[in-house]
Amino acid sequence: MADIKQVVLERDLNPYHSFFSSFFAGLAELGMINQGSINIVAKRAADYLYAYLEAKDILPDIKVVPGKNPTEVAKNLILYVNKILSLVGEYDFKQVEDGQAVLLITANTCRICPKGVGGAEVKGTLCPIPTLVVNLVNKIAQQELLQLVTTGIEKEGPSCKAYFSVLN
Amino acid sequence: MTPTISTQLDVILNDFERNVRHVQATAVVSTDGLVIASRLPSDVEEDRIGAMGAAILSISNRSGGELERGEILRVLIEGEEGYILIRSVGEYAILVALVEKDVRLGLLFFEANKCIELLKEVL
Repeated sequence: MADIKQVVLERDLNPYHSFFSSFFAGLAELGMINQGSINIVAKRAADYLYAYLEAKDILPDIKVVPGKNPTEVAKNLILYVNKILSLVGEYDFKQVEDGQAVLLITANTCRICPKGVGGAEVKGTLCPIPTLVVNLVNKIAQQELLQLVTTGIEKEGPSCKAYFSVLN
Repeated sequence: MTPTISTQLDVILNDFERNVRHVQATAVVSTDGLVIASRLPSDVEEDRIGAMGAAILSISNRSGGELERGEILRVLIEGEEGYILIRSVGEYAILVALVEKDVRLGLLFFEANKCIELLKEVL
């Protein structure tokens, strides 16, 4: 595991990031969670977060309307979600082909990774972000705007990637 | 033309179900808990079966290690209405089978072994 002080400072973690990532790391090391269960739990969390944003009256007025590029709408919604939850430091969301987009996260800026931040020593991925993003974005947009193409996240060099279909 | 991996897996699972007629449903899942192939009833959420099957086997393996029981060969959960059988398929996958109560366990284990060897060849 990387030096905790370095991770905390470089990734600008708050106490909730530290709690979340280390808590899930512990569960993963006990064999209690995996990417599949993280996906299921992340969907539930998205529903709860939507209710939270609604209760706080801080839902953004970002919707797909005629003439607006749906990828741009999704991009703005992801920007909002990341601003609220402070999930990652650096990322990009861009169209890769007609109807498909990729979320590219600079891995060493992710603040909630149970492996990179929490130090989970397990095989495979434990990323809640793709499922959380899809479900929260779709709830806020009040339509199925994004659909996950991959079931989790793919680690590729310094980046973590998730592919989505962007629907009109 | 070589059949796709999905087709090959489906054929193997189908044969397993045919050879042990009390096997009601089967799935091949990655150790990450993500479904690779499944023959599950439409009312069963395959995402949940995948995630829970992988977690159960993973916890069992950890418990086996902690309690010095050696490598876990299989997990068999007995319910009032039937069994859940979970087995490793090599290093990266697992087999989950939902089985009726009336099954002959010897036959189930024997055919599960055969099924797993075939799955390993494909995966």
